[in-house]
Amino acid sequence: MSLERTDAVTPPRLWRVGRTAALVAALLAAVVLAVGLGSVYIPPGEVLGALGRGVASLWTGAELSPEDVIVWQLRLPRVAMGVLVGACLAVCGGAFQGVFRNPLADPYLLGVASGAGLGATVAIVAGWPRPLVPVAALLAALAAVSLTLTLAREGRRLPPVRLILAGVVVGSILSAVSTFLILRGEDRARQVLAYTLGDLGFSGWGDVLTVLPYALAGGGVLMLLGRALDTLQLGDLTARSLGVPVERLRLLVVLAASVATAAAVAYVGIIGFVGLVVPHVVRLAWGAGHRVLLPVSALAGGTLLVLADLLARTTPLSQVGVVTTLLGGPFFLWLLRRGGHD
Amino acid sequence: MKTLPAKTVLAASLLALLPTAAATTYPLTLTDDLGRKVTLKAEPKRIISMVPGHSETLCAIGACGKLVGVDRYSDYPQQVARLPKVGDLFAPDVEAMVALKPDLVLVSQYSKLEGTLTQAGIPTIALDMEKYDEVFSKTLTLGRIVNREAQAKNVVLNIRRDIARVEILTRNAVRKPTTYLEVDPTPYSVGPNSFMGVLLGKAGARNVIPASLGDFPRVDPELIVKANPELMLGLTRQAAAARPGWSGLKAVRAGRVLDLPKDLNTILSRPGPRMGQALRGLARLVHPELFR
Repeated sequence: MSLERTDAVTPPRLWRVGRTAALVAALLAAVVLAVGLGSVYIPPGEVLGALGRGVASLWTGAELSPEDVIVWQLRLPRVAMGVLVGACLAVCGGAFQGVFRNPLADPYLLGVASGAGLGATVAIVAGWPRPLVPVAALLAALAAVSLTLTLAREGRRLPPVRLILAGVVVGSILSAVSTFLILRGEDRARQVLAYTLGDLGFSGWGDVLTVLPYALAGGGVLMLLGRALDTLQLGDLTARSLGVPVERLRLLVVLAASVATAAAVAYVGIIGFVGLVVPHVVRLAWGAGHRVLLPVSALAGGTLLVLADLLARTTPLSQVGVVTTLLGGPFFLWLLRRGGHD
Repeated sequence: MKTLPAKTVLAASLLALLPTAAATTYPLTLTDDLGRKVTLKAEPKRIISMVPGHSETLCAIGACGKLVGVDRYSDYPQQVARLPKVGDLFAPDVEAMVALKPDLVLVSQYSKLEGTLTQAGIPTIALDMEKYDEVFSKTLTLGRIVNREAQAKNVVLNIRRDIARVEILTRNAVRKPTTYLEVDPTPYSVGPNSFMGVLLGKAGARNVIPASLGDFPRVDPELIVKANPELMLGLTRQAAAARPGWSGLKAVRAGRVLDLPKDLNTILSRPGPRMGQALRGLARLVHPELFR
């Protein structure tokens, strides 16, 4: 069967298991590091104690010391949000690259980010309360994707080229509208800018719990579609003849990825390059099979974003989106120069 | 070198001691905040101010009549609000500026306007008031530029007097609350060495932001939790309580989180003749008991 050809270029199984174990260890290490370090240094022993007291206080309602509050209510949810968003973006990136058979596809391709950006800009410039900003971003992101899907549709089909073209144009138009609004509402320009640069700054447990179901649903659906995505790599015609409902698959991937991405973007803003770079790196080390690629990308994306956020809040780079772009951009170019991996 | 008669020397030194200043002599050469030497051939009569604080200062020192145009944020006093608007520092309407035939445009060192205007043959001076002391020194500079030195000295004296009046009250405050002043919700605050930070101190508050972070730093929310301030200014109590980990802070629990009224916010962020007024408003929020 032709699928074996994909397996032939993937590294041996033991090799992959070892690497995956290393990645899990890296994620755990990143989490521990990120919870302990910050503008206020908290020693590792204290971190554990603070976690225990934080959990206990949920039942006893006991007062927490400022250090305990920092660990339990600021850093831990921030780190959790980093894992969640990084995983979402990486999985969606991997799935998009698979479904469009385009190595440049990323979770923002169909106007999700520009839609969310516009929603957030409207909410911020109009001075709506903070809890409404993500809601506006989420709704606008989903509206933007629906618009892209409607424009790209050709009868009952969704040709990838039309999807990408429609997505790019919808994205540009929405970005232009956002820019116009930012220029008009200058008092809040900095807030909008912080949002569009990506920021985990004020992520709390409430935000994490809101994003979690969307991330699990979207990411879960994508991971279940791994085998179908593999088949799609052989081309629409072959996939169809193998019994894959190509158009429905494409729509399902787009919807699942858009839900997960929109939820992530709504809460933390637009974080570039994670969804583009992580799946490429994972494909190099683990092979191109989506059943492995997507879960491993989730691990790697989570690790990367936690570390990037740690860098952001301990250095003057200050915004996680700036860090991911500054690290991810050059790295991607380096991969490109090395070439020959696709 | 000819020796001056003793009488003249005495008269001259006496004159120098007097608060009133002699008229500015033109051509006047001075170094602006871009480090450029600028020469004004004659007293400027048609001025465009692109900085709201400078527009205010010009009016306070009696040179309002020289203004022919302002940036779109200049809104005080009344006469200024009615003048033609020529965009702002970062989106200037250069054509409208040239059409007003100014003989001087006051800009900021950040504006990038000087090149274009110099090419159009219009002299520019870049001035900024960032540190507390600069508010006074630059007001005097403006006075020299527009030949209103005596009035400028008066304005400086008035600001200093207004500030001293508030300081007399706050100096005796029993308790000076540790305070976090938020100027932007992303969140940005003020360091103790910025002019706003100096005013906060004079209002009888202890700023929780360390000087090492700079004048207008972006702060990590963790630092505010660690500092646990008794008073928060510049945001609403709901906004503070909604932030992760902030609901248990002293200021939030005691209800000592106060948003700045819009007018106060404007004058507080605008170094100039109303700085004393800004300090009074700030001090009222920090120590309401002293203003009963």
